[in-house]
Amino acid sequence: MARNWMDYKTDAWIQWCPACGNFGILTAMQRAFAELDLPNEKVTVVSGIGCSSRIPYYIKTTNIHTLHGRPIPVAQGVKLANPDQVVIVASGDGDLLGIGAGHFVAIGRRNIDIKVILHDNAVYGLTKGQAAPTLPLWFKTKALGQPNIQSAVNPLLLAFASGFTFIARAYAYHIDQLKEMIKAAIMHKGTSLIDVLQPCPTYNDIMTKEWYEKRIYYLDKEDPSWDPNVEKPEDLKKLPKIVEKMLEWEPRIPLGIFYRNTMVEPFDARIEKIMPGYLAMPPARRPVSVNGRALTNPFQAFRDRLVQT
Amino acid sequence: MSENVDLDVMIGGPQGGGIESSGQMTLRVFMIKGYDVFGIREYHSDIMGAHSYYNIRVRSRKPRSVRLPVDALLALDAEAIFTHYNELAPGSYLIYDNDSLSTRMDRIAPMEPETKERVREDLKEKGVEPVASELVKYLSKQGVKTVGLPLKDLLKVTADRLKTSVVSVAKTVNTMTITALSAMLGIDLAAVERSIELYFAGRKSIIDSNVEAARVTYEHVKENYGVAKPLPDGPHRNKTRMVATGNDIVAMAKIVGGVTLETYYPITPSQDEAFYMESHRVFDLDEDAAKSLGTQKMPALTLQAEDELAALNMAIGAALAGARVATTTSGPGLSLMNEAISFAVMAEVPVVISVWMRTGPSTGIATRQGQGDLLHSMFAGHGEALPKIVLASGDHIEAYYDTIKALNWAERFQVPVIHLLDKYMAASMMSFDMEDVDPYKMPLDRGKFVVQPDPKAYKRYELTDDGISPRAPLGAVRYTVSSLEHNEEGVVTEDPVMRERMVMKRIRKMETIEREIPDSEKAVLHGDPDARVTVISWGTTKGPILDAMERLSAEGLKLRFLQIKTFLPFPTNMVKGIIETSDDVIAVENNAFGQMVWTIRMFTGFDIKKRIAKLNSRSLMEQEVYNGLRKALSMKEGLVVVSDGA
Repeated sequence: MARNWMDYKTDAWIQWCPACGNFGILTAMQRAFAELDLPNEKVTVVSGIGCSSRIPYYIKTTNIHTLHGRPIPVAQGVKLANPDQVVIVASGDGDLLGIGAGHFVAIGRRNIDIKVILHDNAVYGLTKGQAAPTLPLWFKTKALGQPNIQSAVNPLLLAFASGFTFIARAYAYHIDQLKEMIKAAIMHKGTSLIDVLQPCPTYNDIMTKEWYEKRIYYLDKEDPSWDPNVEKPEDLKKLPKIVEKMLEWEPRIPLGIFYRNTMVEPFDARIEKIMPGYLAMPPARRPVSVNGRALTNPFQAFRDRLVQT
Repeated sequence: MSENVDLDVMIGGPQGGGIESSGQMTLRVFMIKGYDVFGIREYHSDIMGAHSYYNIRVRSRKPRSVRLPVDALLALDAEAIFTHYNELAPGSYLIYDNDSLSTRMDRIAPMEPETKERVREDLKEKGVEPVASELVKYLSKQGVKTVGLPLKDLLKVTADRLKTSVVSVAKTVNTMTITALSAMLGIDLAAVERSIELYFAGRKSIIDSNVEAARVTYEHVKENYGVAKPLPDGPHRNKTRMVATGNDIVAMAKIVGGVTLETYYPITPSQDEAFYMESHRVFDLDEDAAKSLGTQKMPALTLQAEDELAALNMAIGAALAGARVATTTSGPGLSLMNEAISFAVMAEVPVVISVWMRTGPSTGIATRQGQGDLLHSMFAGHGEALPKIVLASGDHIEAYYDTIKALNWAERFQVPVIHLLDKYMAASMMSFDMEDVDPYKMPLDRGKFVVQPDPKAYKRYELTDDGISPRAPLGAVRYTVSSLEHNEEGVVTEDPVMRERMVMKRIRKMETIEREIPDSEKAVLHGDPDARVTVISWGTTKGPILDAMERLSAEGLKLRFLQIKTFLPFPTNMVKGIIETSDDVIAVENNAFGQMVWTIRMFTGFDIKKRIAKLNSRSLMEQEVYNGLRKALSMKEGLVVVSDGA
């Protein structure tokens, strides 16, 4: 029997402020999971630290609430050990692009089958509104004592340069569109980013609902011929256009799937190539012993160190 | 006949100049002759050119350490002579290249200015001009047997015989010097040839040219120095044995001990462990396992992470998914892992962290010895990151079994286990037999690992009497894992009662660990159990201490040695009992402040007043412990600093 999005609700009281963009992301994830009919225990949502990182308690799957900045490595550990698990990182801009930025780059290089949902509100909500790495230069939100003197990082371009093979941008209040992007990311086999723009009604008094809604538009609506797919070498010709769209920000902000490259070998296939047997016997699912007896011994397995005297 | 063989050989030369292969081949030559070997490599943290050396001890029975002075120095360049001339025993051999004789010490660029200055002063006192030829003359007068090799000529002869150019056989100089050393020590050419075949396994043209080089050299030495008294065969002829570094043997233990995923970030001196695992990522099963699993081969994944933060956090993720995991690092990497260690404690994640200590603080001297991470390990992780286990190994064989034990304990108690190893072990090689590394005598234990729990009743963090809850892999059942304080389902909570219950659970778990790990695995008493003089130490000081004790007890001194193996849980009663029944207690450590002494004071209230410490970052040797103990015994209290090694 197909699952319903209510099947992914927990009975925890949700701590987010009213009208927080996180609600939209949560609902879109639950609906996406339901439409894909994913068993609750077979999905792992991994978060870091921050307002949005509370999401593991609100979504009824098998989740991990990790340390600040570390959801990406923890998620990769899960996926490497058990490639069958659907693994999703859902974390904030400070977590993924500030303290954890090194991991954001590294996961792209692997093209491992993990979806990164970036809760992008440009502020650190949990610590009362400091500037996050996506807050534009010179913006002075109400909590800041001085204007932001650090430039914003472009998550899409960083993901592109790092090797992510699915890159999308969504808006948290457009739940249906976001849900479709999450589904598309889950269906894509490779490292995926959905940068979800979300107003923070409490701390970001500049990038508000009105601010966003004046600027956002959908790539495919504006241009029905929009095609983010790179499936064969000649499709690489689309890259300049894709990058151009990733660069666009003011006065208009494009949303949608920017880039989907299916030509890059995913990480599990690379491992299988150098280590035959990995997919059949991944680290979480292979025997470590036979009833407690070791599977081998050094004189059997490490003959390169033998000396016949 | 072979009972009394106990030789120390040193090979010195420029890093990247064949030191590694010379050392490895020499070890094999002696093993082929039937001896046990122990070798340790000292090297600079640079890439090429700086002085590097091997100390090798050869014995009829297991050597546990190396000693100075040596019985033979194989100097691959002039710097080796200038660096080690004070470390030659009377009657020992100095083997060198005739071309190095004209070298003036001032001209040796890689030699450090402080070393040059010290040697210059010393040679001045001895009335020796700092030129290699003068120093060799001086050593010869002091009774050292100097053997100069005309390597250029020997290369030419070799090239002629192989009908090739000198350039194409240039790399055989290492074989030549080893052959000369072997010939002088009475080892037959056949053993050298077999060692060449073994070391260059399968590479026929390399083997051929090296064998020819060995023959040419052997003839030369015979003609010029006569035939040495043959070295008798040692007790281990006609056996299949193994020689491995500490890095190798821990890698072996991880694969044999069931590690299905290891992560690492490259750092000296841990990286060779991960390298070795990578090169054995698909390994052969034994016959029994192959039969019951229906496959001959098994994969074990080793993955290079982007930093140590990722290395440990990835390992944690994999452990949560149900893998048996480990990671490997050194002190600086452990610093970066601290936060994740605390996470592993909170989320009750089994993970083994092999910590190969080196010289600190900070980047210190990356390729040199130190035991500075004991307190760091015990206190690793913020906010009372307990329970966890800190375990230290004394030698290769211990490190092998301790690795398997650490994996078992991690899963049984669902805690991070920090396994302390060091550069001394990483870079030392020893010979051993199958029975020394028998994995079948240590069952692999996964504790309360449940693959198919009842989804209705399952609670990941169920409050239990022993503090340990059933552990299901992610994906088997739905639950939550949190780095925050949580309830039995793993859901975050700030409720004061639940918080206190969870703290009590962690306290009970630490008590379970203390109770279930037997005293015999927390500390080991060596030597005469009734002695009133006690040496207390930990880690790889074990070998030099045991060898020094052997000499001291032969001289009539009654001694015992308490080797502490686990610092968490700490063997409080055992250490107390030993100290209470001792008249004299001497601590030995390769660190400055006496971190074990602090720990003993913390747990037992006893303050050890006599310490022997080695602070110069070089490997601890037998004679240093011998001399240090002699000195410490004559003092009322204080610190004895031992400083051998170049």
